[in-house]
Amino acid sequence: MSTQETYKTKVKELLSSGKVKMVIGYKAGTTADRRRPHFMRTPEEVDQLVLDSACITNLSGYLLSEGLLSDGKEIAVFLKPDGIRSINILAAEAQLQSNQVVVLGFDINGSEISALQGERASDFQALTSSSNEARLHKQQHPESARLEQMTPAERFAYWEDAFSRCIKCYACRQACPMCYCRRCIVDNNQPQWVNTSSHTLGNFEWNIVRAFHLAGRCVECGNCGRACPVNIPLGLLNMKMTDEVLQSFNHYPGVSETQEPVLASFKKNDSETFIL
Amino acid sequence: MTRILSSDKLDNCVARWRKAGNKVFGPVKKETTSSYAAVESAAEFDLGLILPDRSVKELFFPQTEPMMRYSIKKQAIDTEDFQPPIEKRIIFGVRPCDASGLAIDDPLFGWDYKDDFWFKRRNNSVIITIACTKSDDFCMCTSLKLAPDSTKGADVMLRPLQNGKGWQVEELTDRGREAVKEIADLLQDSAEPTAPNAMVPEKFNLDACVAWLRNPENFESSFWKEISMRCIGCGSCTFLCPTCHCFDFQDEGDTYNGIRRKNWDSCSFALFTMHTSGHNPRSTQSARWRQRIMHKFNYFPGKFNVNSCSGCGRCSRQCPVDMGITETLQAISTLQP
Repeated sequence: MSTQETYKTKVKELLSSGKVKMVIGYKAGTTADRRRPHFMRTPEEVDQLVLDSACITNLSGYLLSEGLLSDGKEIAVFLKPDGIRSINILAAEAQLQSNQVVVLGFDINGSEISALQGERASDFQALTSSSNEARLHKQQHPESARLEQMTPAERFAYWEDAFSRCIKCYACRQACPMCYCRRCIVDNNQPQWVNTSSHTLGNFEWNIVRAFHLAGRCVECGNCGRACPVNIPLGLLNMKMTDEVLQSFNHYPGVSETQEPVLASFKKNDSETFIL
Repeated sequence: MTRILSSDKLDNCVARWRKAGNKVFGPVKKETTSSYAAVESAAEFDLGLILPDRSVKELFFPQTEPMMRYSIKKQAIDTEDFQPPIEKRIIFGVRPCDASGLAIDDPLFGWDYKDDFWFKRRNNSVIITIACTKSDDFCMCTSLKLAPDSTKGADVMLRPLQNGKGWQVEELTDRGREAVKEIADLLQDSAEPTAPNAMVPEKFNLDACVAWLRNPENFESSFWKEISMRCIGCGSCTFLCPTCHCFDFQDEGDTYNGIRRKNWDSCSFALFTMHTSGHNPRSTQSARWRQRIMHKFNYFPGKFNVNSCSGCGRCSRQCPVDMGITETLQAISTLQP
């Protein structure tokens, strides 16, 4: 039986037994290569479930939809390793209880998918820890390498041009599982801390605020970059922040839910070299 | 015999229009995104795009526009208005859906307060539309009773020739005739046939949808929650839409000096209807999505007798979660009014 069919059976069981009140997965989209988030509450809705190599969106952010988890009932969600790490971070940041989330783990290898064994995010610790190791030795993205070679002035010009396309639709924020603030700093308008205008200053303010707030928290799932309607290479910023946090604090986010949020916790022996 | 503009003369046209004091715009693909942008030569155009990622609306109603400079003094408040630009513009290669979008928004920007920024730009711009010979899975102009060769909002209509070497030229307005006059000697007579229009299948029954939307009982239908469950509440659909026109005023500066700006706003945002008291009449994403659909296909036509959608499909094409007007109206088509 294919991974998709095995999971269909499992999901039907989860729903018909009443173990979970909802399963969040994927279904077919408008075009052959698109998948849509699919919310299943009855076994009948499971027939539309699709699980294949086009299921790349990190669905963990939906768990924080207002009121969804407040009744204490469990929800199952299809997650790749990046999504499982998101659950750990959200739990570490007290946004959800990981024992309310049933992980339906899978991974994509080229055009193939495989099931990952485990039920709670903590069951996948071997996997999340090994991805830490893999990230340390990951070859630099060619575009990142190109940016590193630039002079600061050239790099500034690169981002000025990229950000000039920003239309402040906040799709990057809304698509990000880590951007869960009920009221984002840019929506605080008394006073208006961050300009809502799409001029050079406003675009830098927003994109830098977004990237900074994700330092040590981003799982590099790519939801932001895919959501951006004007294709700003947001992933490059997040990659850079991940590299910096890894080098400075040896912190790789989402390994476990007991991992302390790196920039929100204080340790006496923290290096102070970053303080100017 | 009709008059045609051959593709190899386009660069001469651009030069001619620029020499006559026009700024020339057209579809341009830059890096990984495309928009209608200013060009110096026809070589910069990308006329092969089905349509640019960003709509032509932003050339008339930019994302941010300075309105007024203010300075608060002890005895008085000084203000100075920014003036709408008056440059003459030729916008070449506009898609019929985008041009229609401009015509749809004209009554909105002029029904009580006449928006000078919109109309100065409208009156100083010539819209040269090129009929579509290609479409994709998201195009839906025909469902909105428009077509790949709609002339709505266009000053000049160009129909691509079958041989791919130019366009048949049809002037539609005085502004259009003026622009064509400047390049009249570059046109030639030809009997070359035009290429067939793009095939855009009808995706939903608009009349059935409108009937359902107008039934007040459906306002509280559970349909709205179901259809919008995956909406993440970003402004991508509204900001790329050629007809969405909502804006917000922002004062930027310090307490005493600053600039008042008009910035795009979106009904998808939670903050859009937030009251000072903290009460939000559209407190859920489903209420916001319902508003977007109701506004486009019920309230706007109720006031201006035209739907606030030209079928470009950008809302669905670019949606991070593959939602959009098409899916919603397709679903409504199947419901009992």
